[in-house]
Amino acid sequence: MTRYIIRRLLQAIPLLFIISVVLFVMMQNMGDPLATMGGRTVTRSSERARLTRQLGLDKPIYVQYLYWLVGNDWTKIDLDGDGVPESAGRRQGILRGDFGTSLVNRGVPVVKVIGDRLVNTLLLMLTAELVIIVGALLIGIYSALHQYSVLDNAITAVTFFLYSLPVFFFALIVMYIFAVNFKRWGLPYLPTVGMFDPQVGKTPSQVAWHMVLPVATLSFGFFAAYSRYIRSAMLEALNQDYVRTAKAKGLPRPQIVYIHALKNAALPIVTVVALDLPFLLGGAVVTERIFAWPGTGRLFLDHVSRGDTPVVMGLLMMIAVAVILFQIIADVLYAWLDPRIRYK
Amino acid sequence: MFSKRIAQTFLFLFVILSLALAGCAPAPQPTTAPAAPEATQPPAAPATEPPAAPATEPPAAPEATEPPAEPPAERPVLTMIFTQEFDTLNPYYTNMWFSQITQSFWNCWAWTFDEATAPVPILVSEMPSIDNGGITEGGRVLTFKLRDDLVWSDGTPLTADDFVFTYEMVINPANTVAQVSPYDLVKSIEAPDPQTVVVTFEEPYAAWIGTFWRGLLPKHILQPVFDADGTIDNAGWNRNPTVGCGPFNFSEWESGSFARFVANDNFWLGKAKIGEIFVRFVPDDASQIAALKAGEGDVGTFFAYSDVPELEAAGVNIIKSFSGYNEGFYFYLDPEKSHPALRDVNVRKALAYATNRQKLTEDLLLGLTVPAATLWDNTPYVDPSLQPYPYDPEKAKQLLDEAGWIDSDGDGVRDKDGVALELTYGTTTREIRQDTQAVFQQELAEVGIKTELQNFDYDIFFSGYGEGGPAATGQLDMYEYSNVVTGYPDPDTADWLCSEIPSDDSPAGVNWSAYCDEELDALFLLQATQVDDAARRATFHQISKMIYDKVYWLGIWQDPDLFGISDKLANVRISGVMPFFNIFEWEFK
Repeated sequence: MTRYIIRRLLQAIPLLFIISVVLFVMMQNMGDPLATMGGRTVTRSSERARLTRQLGLDKPIYVQYLYWLVGNDWTKIDLDGDGVPESAGRRQGILRGDFGTSLVNRGVPVVKVIGDRLVNTLLLMLTAELVIIVGALLIGIYSALHQYSVLDNAITAVTFFLYSLPVFFFALIVMYIFAVNFKRWGLPYLPTVGMFDPQVGKTPSQVAWHMVLPVATLSFGFFAAYSRYIRSAMLEALNQDYVRTAKAKGLPRPQIVYIHALKNAALPIVTVVALDLPFLLGGAVVTERIFAWPGTGRLFLDHVSRGDTPVVMGLLMMIAVAVILFQIIADVLYAWLDPRIRYK
Repeated sequence: MFSKRIAQTFLFLFVILSLALAGCAPAPQPTTAPAAPEATQPPAAPATEPPAAPATEPPAAPEATEPPAEPPAERPVLTMIFTQEFDTLNPYYTNMWFSQITQSFWNCWAWTFDEATAPVPILVSEMPSIDNGGITEGGRVLTFKLRDDLVWSDGTPLTADDFVFTYEMVINPANTVAQVSPYDLVKSIEAPDPQTVVVTFEEPYAAWIGTFWRGLLPKHILQPVFDADGTIDNAGWNRNPTVGCGPFNFSEWESGSFARFVANDNFWLGKAKIGEIFVRFVPDDASQIAALKAGEGDVGTFFAYSDVPELEAAGVNIIKSFSGYNEGFYFYLDPEKSHPALRDVNVRKALAYATNRQKLTEDLLLGLTVPAATLWDNTPYVDPSLQPYPYDPEKAKQLLDEAGWIDSDGDGVRDKDGVALELTYGTTTREIRQDTQAVFQQELAEVGIKTELQNFDYDIFFSGYGEGGPAATGQLDMYEYSNVVTGYPDPDTADWLCSEIPSDDSPAGVNWSAYCDEELDALFLLQATQVDDAARRATFHQISKMIYDKVYWLGIWQDPDLFGISDKLANVRISGVMPFFNIFEWEFK
């Protein structure tokens, strides 16, 4: 097993290298970071020429990639534009742990730019994931136990209705109902945007209160998928011989359902969750944007639109590494959980 | 059986872990501690603390759930909603409007501009002029006299040395500032005494009023950083400017979430009447409108014209501010590579007569603005006789006929010498522009001009020649966007200079029309040196008339900035140059 894990990790190195090259090349076609620099006018020609040189964007793409990978502190760069490289480079490259500095937030290390947002994203996404799992378990088990009952059909219909709503639509609808109109009608209302009320301050209760709508938006749509999964797994388990045996033994119903059936039915869910986890790092672009939640999804969008290669590469590589790691973990878990699977 | 138990354990652990993570994550930031990462905290310490109650006992409160309610009457918080987050707060490192407009909170321009775009001295005691000896040697030397009561927010005197330092940092190639211009034109800057700054140019420089001293860098904070690092690119002050010179002090900025500014007791024009400004970043337009309607924001901006009726119905006051932007067409006019029809001024005039811009502003822009005649509308630099071309499709057809563009093959599209009058018409993906494209496509088709519509993401559309930008490289026969002269309210622009035509050798040029009109070029070069405003205005009257007559640019609508202001606020004046120029006078009713 150890050899298997080591082999998988070694295999990941060329994979990450290829991913980074492809992403880096793609990023070069995502717009010009100096076109407007977020402003409302086109950057003046002289400024563009100067910044292109100072930021190293005038170098061929393979040189830019090389600097990103291994840094440029072993060479000299031309800052003053006289054609003679005179200043020592300062970058160390990601292989030495330097992800560079943001082009947009000039001078701010990429690790800080991403780190500032990652906590918020994890808070939102893990909460949503938890709500999804708990909600889907409740719905899925109920539906399996009461197959084709009126409530089962009703729940199925409602969850699929929510599933088919576009996220932005659901988000704006709940915002208008529970934040704008409830306030107008004099009812207790939820906040529209942000993480806290500035008059009160960033307290845990404020943050939790502001999370209600975004978490609802992120989780309600996913109840359908997860609960259907649990429902079918539970149905399959409930029809197994060992459940019939348990029933014949006269075990109490809760014990049969929650101990005998659910334990087995939960196995595939664990796999699905493990594979979903790395993508939580990427945040939820639409939900974060609408509810002004300061997460990585918005960060990605903002920095892609301004061609900020270092930050976008940092985010994408973080997700790529997480995906590879979690895949290895999922594979290892498989072998651990199911004795029939063996890796050599 | 074994695996089942493991699965159960794993599931249980996962749930516990998720709960723990969800529970722990907010803990590092509850009851936000005061910013103060840099040692030099202003002496006006109480004013820099965010909410009063938790700030009094910083280390104690992480577990406190709900602090006591604020006394809003004492320190009212003004909440602004920005749809974009600033990239940096260093005034010389940003091009972003949303960063620039906050400079009137915490940084200082040497002079700002009021709602009539008249200069208002902030750091200087009076505006330099020929009469008061501030402009000498034919405009080559400018002398700025500073007030004698200027202090940085930490109490350190603000002197001419800070001006010289700012200049030195901007022009130093180790610093990747956003704009070196116009400081690259300076021959020398000297500080003969703490209240005098003397700027000497190589050539007379007329545009100084709209370009100089927009922001100041504190020498006592940044000089040590520069000495240590060789650059101020990575200075903590850029993101965390705890020492400033505006009516408010920067307090904190949390990435993606908010920024906070609190009143500065040391501001020499008077203490702000509002205790705190809270800027919340809300990237989604619809969410911004919802927040403004729900009263969760007192000031919002940059929303669409179509949102105005809804906001007004919710009791939000709308202020229109003309900031020099005018939506219009540029044409690709390269003498060899452009569409032959566009090289004929009569065809360009026909485009003007064929498009009903008056109706467009009434229908699509809800009558909130009017058609633009020139790039200098609403400034004294436009020839007052110029009015937008009227809608007259018959005249358009007549002009096209006279120019030889007729529909010879009966396919509904005019042609000449085997070339069809078919134009590519590109713009950004902004909704109002796409709507405009659809209307104009229809109207132009009615006079026999076929258009192929193209839309590009903002940064791709504005990419330069070297990056293969569609407008810069002549892929678009006509392209639409909202432009402003660089140093508004100064009228100077490089858009029509012959030297700015981009090419492989000079890919950064901004004259994307790629046409050199030598007469116009000479006028632009002349005005750049005319420090006598009357003479310069006369030159610009010629320039604006020439561009209008030759239709080098065709105005579509004047594009004012829209501000939604809560009806709870009083004394709000909005300037087109620096919108919140009198923020220290704002107050809650």
